[in-house]
Amino acid sequence: MKKLPHKRPSFMITVHVTLYGDIAHYAGGKHTVSKEVQLQEDACIKDLLRHLGVPPDERGYLFINAVLHDAPGLFASRDAVLHEGDHVGIFSTTHMWPYQYRDGIRMSETLEQALKEHGPIRNTYRLEDTDKP
Amino acid sequence: MAKKILRINMSELSAAYEDIPEKWAKWAGRGLTSAIVSDEVEPTCHPLGPNNKLVIAPGWVSGTPAAPSSGRTSFGGKSPLTGTIKESNSGGLSSQKIAKLGLAAVILEGNPPKGKWYTLVITKDGVAFNDASDLIGKGMYEVSDILWEQYDHEPAVIGIGPVGEEKLSNAGISVNDPEGKPGRYAGRGGLGAVMGARGVKAIVVDDTGGPGVEIADEDLFKQGRKKLTDAIMQHDLTKPDGALNAYGTNVLMNIINEAGGLPTRNFSAGQFEGAADISGEKIAEMVEKRDGEGMTGHKCHPGCIIQCSNIYPDEEGKAVVSVVEYETAWTLGANLGISDLDYIADMTYQCNDLGLDTIEAGNTIAMAMEGGQIEFGDKEGARGVFDEIREMTPLGRIYGQGVEATAKAYGVHRVPTVKGQSMPAYEPRAIKGIGVTYATSTMGADHTSGYTIAPEIAGVGGDVDALEDKGKAELSLTFQAATAFVDSTGYCLFIAFPILDIESGWEGMAESVAGVTGMDISGGDVIDLGKEILKMERKFNMRAGFTAEHDRPPEFMRYEKLPPHNVVWTLTDEELDKVYAWVDGEE
Repeated sequence: MKKLPHKRPSFMITVHVTLYGDIAHYAGGKHTVSKEVQLQEDACIKDLLRHLGVPPDERGYLFINAVLHDAPGLFASRDAVLHEGDHVGIFSTTHMWPYQYRDGIRMSETLEQALKEHGPIRNTYRLEDTDKP
Repeated sequence: MAKKILRINMSELSAAYEDIPEKWAKWAGRGLTSAIVSDEVEPTCHPLGPNNKLVIAPGWVSGTPAAPSSGRTSFGGKSPLTGTIKESNSGGLSSQKIAKLGLAAVILEGNPPKGKWYTLVITKDGVAFNDASDLIGKGMYEVSDILWEQYDHEPAVIGIGPVGEEKLSNAGISVNDPEGKPGRYAGRGGLGAVMGARGVKAIVVDDTGGPGVEIADEDLFKQGRKKLTDAIMQHDLTKPDGALNAYGTNVLMNIINEAGGLPTRNFSAGQFEGAADISGEKIAEMVEKRDGEGMTGHKCHPGCIIQCSNIYPDEEGKAVVSVVEYETAWTLGANLGISDLDYIADMTYQCNDLGLDTIEAGNTIAMAMEGGQIEFGDKEGARGVFDEIREMTPLGRIYGQGVEATAKAYGVHRVPTVKGQSMPAYEPRAIKGIGVTYATSTMGADHTSGYTIAPEIAGVGGDVDALEDKGKAELSLTFQAATAFVDSTGYCLFIAFPILDIESGWEGMAESVAGVTGMDISGGDVIDLGKEILKMERKFNMRAGFTAEHDRPPEFMRYEKLPPHNVVWTLTDEELDKVYAWVDGEE
């Protein structure tokens, strides 16, 4: 009898997402919208944005479980892996967060590296196309 | 015509126009109020006694043609709330009108006989001392309406509510907006009580026929104005339909909540489950849904091009109050465990009418909740606090004194204050940088004391690592200095956003000031001038008895872990002491 190749079962994860500002319209809202999203396990932020239809250029501050993973104009969160039950908060690029009100907050190592490279104290970032991942 | 100082003596009911002495000549706005208070107010005086003064000063560019968003008025004196020097500034109509009368500052001093109250009417012809006994006991909405009706030319109305009349420490000073309504508050630090102690219920300012503001170098002024205006109009945060225009300052509610830095139920947690329901996004939704007098993108003074104010509507679409700011929605909402915008708007109206600073008022209610008098989340209980104050019951008088008095009355030790003034809507255990500014500011815990500018512009870019704790002292000092300068310009502090990212905007701010005043300053001088102001303020505080040991966050933040990140305050006292070591070391 021919032995079937071992196939690892595919699991889905559910994450809770809130979109704030004009990007809420990608999920049927106007100013704010929250929804549960099912993704393949090992999915990351770029998969979530693709699923929601949010263009990466329209994504501003992004949090996973209260940890800042991205800032307007940077692309530090795209490969952050999501897990079952995660909460992701995504803001439009026009949402402000002055540095004095975020100085010292918890952030991902990837974002910290990106801020070291592009300067930690900016309200918005404008990366050259060559710098975009 | 050179600008004058208008000195009003309430003991003698006299007014005198004085030349500006050389030592004050370069200052305006906060720089001028702090210079005058430093020189003329004995730091150890009782804030409500005869030796304190209230100084009112427009900024350098206020009253000039079309300088963008330049309607801030600085109010200064010794604070009854903190015992420190205080500058609290406001939008509204007053700054431009005082400036157009050719005045650099108005100094209120002396006391009239007990029980005498006055409305001062300042015009190009001088000062009238009108009996205000018919206004006593009235809230600011009624007072503003009466005075707009009574006097021509839609004047500025600066006034105090019943809390200021009673000289309670949480009394703010209201300025009316372009629609004549009160609510633009120099709220922090109890300067309304200092005005009340002078026997002044209201000041009406009519600039009709005034000389206007002289501009020393018209070309330089126009060049600077254009650069700054372009920066404001381009920047994502300040441009039309940008963050501030669309959602107001309350655009921050959801962000700070997502970050775990939203003080909740008296600083016991960093996230509030009802944050989205009291956010700027929700206000925008309510304005659209109720489709009436409500609006976002409202301007608090003529010539503002950022327009971050709002008018909150009731269910029928009628205007309830302007403005529901982020700090207001937080202090009366998340901080009390309440997620009802209609309630928050109603309580904001109560604050505006009674003459209370909203931040201190919400934190005061939180003390009553922490102390068990009211349950967290109890809207009716919270509303009762305002009833007590309006009726001036003994308990209401305690509430009117603010957070520390109320905390003592209820035996509360989780008290979120520095130098007697309560913290605004940013948790320093989660947002450490703001904690350094709260702790060391010359004003007590204040979120507007340290607005960010780019360190490389300030000349510290290569020396600090903004992501490390050990760089925070130097950054905080730089931010505090930049803020002291902007507070002196008359420009709204929110120009800090575009001028941080757009260097030409930074130059434009300095050039417009140089153009108006004729002073030889450029962007590179901003920090040094700001530090001069901070030094005056710090030295006043030192003479009043304050030491480095007063520059500390509340003790509970060192040992109570803040969810969701379960963090405590970790910066050392030595690090905090670096912020003002350059002044302290001189004594």
